[in-house]
Amino acid sequence: MVFDGERKMWWLSLASLPALVAVAVVINAWRNIENYRHRIETDITQGPDHLDYAGATWRLENVRLLGDGRDAKLRLPGQMRLVIVRLVATATRDIGDAWGQCEVSLTDGTGRRWLPLDVSLSNDISRDLDPGREPVSGCGITSLKPPPKDHAALIEEKFVVPAEAVPVLSVKLSTAALRPKAIGFALDLN
Amino acid sequence: MTRQAPMVLTIVPVAALLAALQATTPPYAMLTGPIRTTGHQTETVLSTTFGVKVHRVLKAGTIAYARFGRAVQLQTSGVWIVVSAELRAFQKTMPVRAATLIGASGRSYRQSRRAGEAPGILSAKVVQPGLPTTGIFVFELPDDETLGMKLVLSEQYDPQLKDEIGVFLEDDGTASRDRLEIGKDGV
Repeated sequence: MVFDGERKMWWLSLASLPALVAVAVVINAWRNIENYRHRIETDITQGPDHLDYAGATWRLENVRLLGDGRDAKLRLPGQMRLVIVRLVATATRDIGDAWGQCEVSLTDGTGRRWLPLDVSLSNDISRDLDPGREPVSGCGITSLKPPPKDHAALIEEKFVVPAEAVPVLSVKLSTAALRPKAIGFALDLN
Repeated sequence: MTRQAPMVLTIVPVAALLAALQATTPPYAMLTGPIRTTGHQTETVLSTTFGVKVHRVLKAGTIAYARFGRAVQLQTSGVWIVVSAELRAFQKTMPVRAATLIGASGRSYRQSRRAGEAPGILSAKVVQPGLPTTGIFVFELPDDETLGMKLVLSEQYDPQLKDEIGVFLEDDGTASRDRLEIGKDGV
């Protein structure tokens, strides 16, 4: 009798193996999909003015286009242009680490995406353009020490883009915790 | 004995089936390996994310360049291979950090770190969409490896499910020059 019970359990265990393997694969796939979702921006709220995101109200403060000789008389070779984007974020609550892995990028509507210059190059350009002032930090550095509630932080990022993309550029911002949600502002550069 | 027969008849085919599946399943490294695109030096080789056009392949016993105003001269017991190329990014700002030359024997040679501070090294640049950039890759390898070389480029070494471009380099038969000057504008 005991022998029959053991045999039944043995067959049951063997039969349940495929189901357990399938469940393990599904759980693993689900985790991978979640990780992937936190790396992409698909749900973008485009705003003309102010946008609420990650515990703050964001607005586009200022955009500069350099390289064609109009601003700072700087001329860059060929089609190369430098775009400097400033955003202001006013904290509406305690932010903590909600801005972790903050990413700012420029997109042109055809799927092309430009990432900001690295910190040291960005700071060098800031010192060249305005030697008397401290460079304004980017989103990554600001996320380590976000503003307290009801205080504002100025964020600056610099991008190198081709001249033909300039009229259609928009800036996008997202944080790891909220991705694939992101916010965006059209730059309206002509 | 007869009671165990069904169990044996079940286990043996299942074991055989599992063994066959294991033997024919591609390894994980292959399934998640690079997405390869291959072409020749005469053409611009394009993948989904980036493209490359190889302009020149030069051989030299000594390469020379200026760094911070000081002249640098590097010699080798083999041969320096300097590949000048143009890179394009299509979708996103990206570096092309990984460059490998596969020699005549099939051995892989990564870029020379000795020449890592030469001007215009492409793997130190970041390629912006819409802004092609030119520069060089520098390799150091034995002289007998320089026939039928293949240049392999990717964003990082050992890419997984990311683009990798292979370019078969032309055997132009040019002799190795004694000394090659690398200037700010390349070679």
